[in-house]
Amino acid sequence: MRSFPRPRVLVAALATLALAGCGFSGSQPGPDQGTATADPDQRIVVDNFRAPVANWALESDAAYILSLSGCLETLARYDQAEGKVVPSLATEWKQTSPLDWDFTIREGVSFQDGTELSAESIVAALNHVLDAKVPARAFNRTMISSVSVVDAGTVRVSTPAENPLVPYRLASVNTGILAPAAYKETEVDPFGHCTGPFTPVSEKAKQSLTLDRNENYWGGDVQLAGAEIRFITNGATRAAQVQTGEADISLSIPVASLATLKGAAGVTVLGADSPRTATLYMNNGRAPLDNVDVRKAIRDSLDLDALAASVYEGAALPATGPFAPSEPWAGEGREQQKQDIESARKLLAGAGYTADRPLEIIAIVERAEFADVAAVIQENLKNIGIPLSIQAKEYASAEPDVLAGNYDMLLSQRNRLIDIADPIGFLTADYTCKGTYNLSRFCDAEYDRIIADAATTVDTTERYKLYAEAGRILQDKAVNAWLVNEQATDAIRTNVLSYVQDPLSRYVLTAKTAKSAS
Amino acid sequence: MLQFITKRTATLLAAVAVSSFAVFLIPYVTPGDPVRKIIRSRVAGDAIDASSVQALAQNLGLNESLATQYFRWLGNFFSGDMGLSYVSRTPVVEQVLPALAVTLSLVAMSLGLAAAVALPLGIISGLRPGSMPDKAITGVTQALIAMPEYWVAPVLVLVFALKLPVLPTAGWNDLSSAVLPVFTLALRPISFFTSAVRAGIIDAAAADHVPAARARGLSHAQSIIRHVIPNGMVPLSTLFAVWFAGLLGGSVIVEVIFAVPGMGRLLFDAVINSDIPLAQGGVVVVVALAVGVTTLADFVHRLISPTVGGSLA
Repeated sequence: MRSFPRPRVLVAALATLALAGCGFSGSQPGPDQGTATADPDQRIVVDNFRAPVANWALESDAAYILSLSGCLETLARYDQAEGKVVPSLATEWKQTSPLDWDFTIREGVSFQDGTELSAESIVAALNHVLDAKVPARAFNRTMISSVSVVDAGTVRVSTPAENPLVPYRLASVNTGILAPAAYKETEVDPFGHCTGPFTPVSEKAKQSLTLDRNENYWGGDVQLAGAEIRFITNGATRAAQVQTGEADISLSIPVASLATLKGAAGVTVLGADSPRTATLYMNNGRAPLDNVDVRKAIRDSLDLDALAASVYEGAALPATGPFAPSEPWAGEGREQQKQDIESARKLLAGAGYTADRPLEIIAIVERAEFADVAAVIQENLKNIGIPLSIQAKEYASAEPDVLAGNYDMLLSQRNRLIDIADPIGFLTADYTCKGTYNLSRFCDAEYDRIIADAATTVDTTERYKLYAEAGRILQDKAVNAWLVNEQATDAIRTNVLSYVQDPLSRYVLTAKTAKSAS
Repeated sequence: MLQFITKRTATLLAAVAVSSFAVFLIPYVTPGDPVRKIIRSRVAGDAIDASSVQALAQNLGLNESLATQYFRWLGNFFSGDMGLSYVSRTPVVEQVLPALAVTLSLVAMSLGLAAAVALPLGIISGLRPGSMPDKAITGVTQALIAMPEYWVAPVLVLVFALKLPVLPTAGWNDLSSAVLPVFTLALRPISFFTSAVRAGIIDAAAADHVPAARARGLSHAQSIIRHVIPNGMVPLSTLFAVWFAGLLGGSVIVEVIFAVPGMGRLLFDAVINSDIPLAQGGVVVVVALAVGVTTLADFVHRLISPTVGGSLA
């Protein structure tokens, strides 16, 4: 139960969770792991990078906080190591018709308030998300037509068109399942209403969430007595807290703190590829960037090694294309773009570019490093005779012009897995002719065909091949210049055991997470 | 007295009206779509579906004219309803009051510390202007002005939390967690308060009534204690009130660095997220308190200041 004067508040939105990035290189054990013994009386402190701001509405990013804290669970979950969706509150699923998917409900699962998980409670929970005023990206009425009870142990999810990614959508934290009592008229109350290994018991608004072990967890014994999730927005403070031992796990460590933490006693720094690639967006719909040779020249002029080493201080790797190399859809034979000034000059000359058409680059100020990245690019382009001016702007102020196509180049980065653990949403919105976020104004019939095929391909391997093929088109046509793949970095104390890094920070505390006494 | 209170009440109402309207306009006069900003504060990512923008605008009444929106808010406010936060969808008052309590504690402790340090330093300095202690105190306190909070705070964390692990790095849990933010916030007021007290003491010591008191038989120490120090402290009351009012919403840097859930952070987040009701509610409360505190300071100043002569007209 909540121990403080119950604010009806408590909000949601863990927007920046995406900032933690996502990756595929998995986790690393701390030095003590393997030899130390878990102490079940220990409690753990996790420093998270954003406070909940939306009254725990599951369609918002508040769902991430409930999920990372081991409270909220979904029908399926994404296994980072396996690279696939695996059972959670559902034990299996199958496509029973082109438009219907049936999920078999796990038996013997109870909510933390003692009520039993049932098909009815799941349908009610999912419909609550579907009916949200601002719907979740991963699960809304545009891709889900209905959720219904088939029988006591089965829930059916129906789609308006054939959609092989329904299980991925049911692995999104926004589709977490709470007990019926959690859904009030104007708010969601997760306290005592989850199914996960930890039960939220109290909250200090804007400061922390305290959880106790769920003694009746369906997934086995929980190895910690409890946890405190602290909301620390300042990255340097998160780094300092794990260094002093005030926190056991600090998520999303800023680049500036890495060197200190790597040399700190009792701290292990974990890194993984994130699904974010810092990208130089180029307006393919406006001269001179509508000429593929000009775009290739710009790409060839860039020194990505220097960029990664200087601006990112080694905390990012030079990009090899639109995907991180470790992503299963990156394809084979991806090589880093090497700087080639001579080739760039030839391409520019062949394209008829002259310096009387200077270019402008918008550097989004929300990412402080982009100002330096822009300066490096300015220097690189100067080498091939392209004068470049830099505009530093808030994204909100740049957005109208960018969406309208009134810009040359934009420095930004997107989370490819913002909605589900599959890049179909990103590849569709950002690069198809009718894409709703096609900043590059790229349009290619072959690309669109491949993405359309992928959207209906059930076989994961085949779908990933199609993504790789689409990525190759983007690369061959130099739609954008992909700069560096960002790394998600967490830091943990060495007495934390069985911690598996999730670069998207969806799953931080699990039943297996443990801590030794020292 | 009545005239004084009437004037100040009118000032308060005008300040609330002007500030709430100015805050209300911020999302509309700054670049970018306010509705998209609200959505981005709830969910991560740049790509936003146009239908979501339309649905939220309708849900929040943001499609209506600015005048309609503002006067609706004003009407609700005067009936005691500050509305619901756009971002959190919870009553504004439930967010403002806890944050205000935190900031009031933080500011009161900081200014209390500043006054406690500045008073003796200012008195020592002002009683012997030009002496070595005066030069040393003036030099040190002037140097504090040049130390911004975003630099002082990490240095204090480095020393007292990392090197000498005697204090927590952040949070707002117990007295130990308040030490670093309070000290950081107190440094610049210490400087200003010391200068003010020093100047006040010098002026008071030069006043005609001090030699007169000595002539009536008071010792040097008695004249200092009875006449110089009390009058020398008068400027501090006004300065204290000004700093108090300023820090109510202006301690955002310290609150962010030390993860203190106060008003500065609340207002900063509200403006960034275009959370108009929360920003309006927060600003109105801060402005009202600021006007109230400065009014009280004026009142006290007029009562105790020999130059103002106790007039409350």
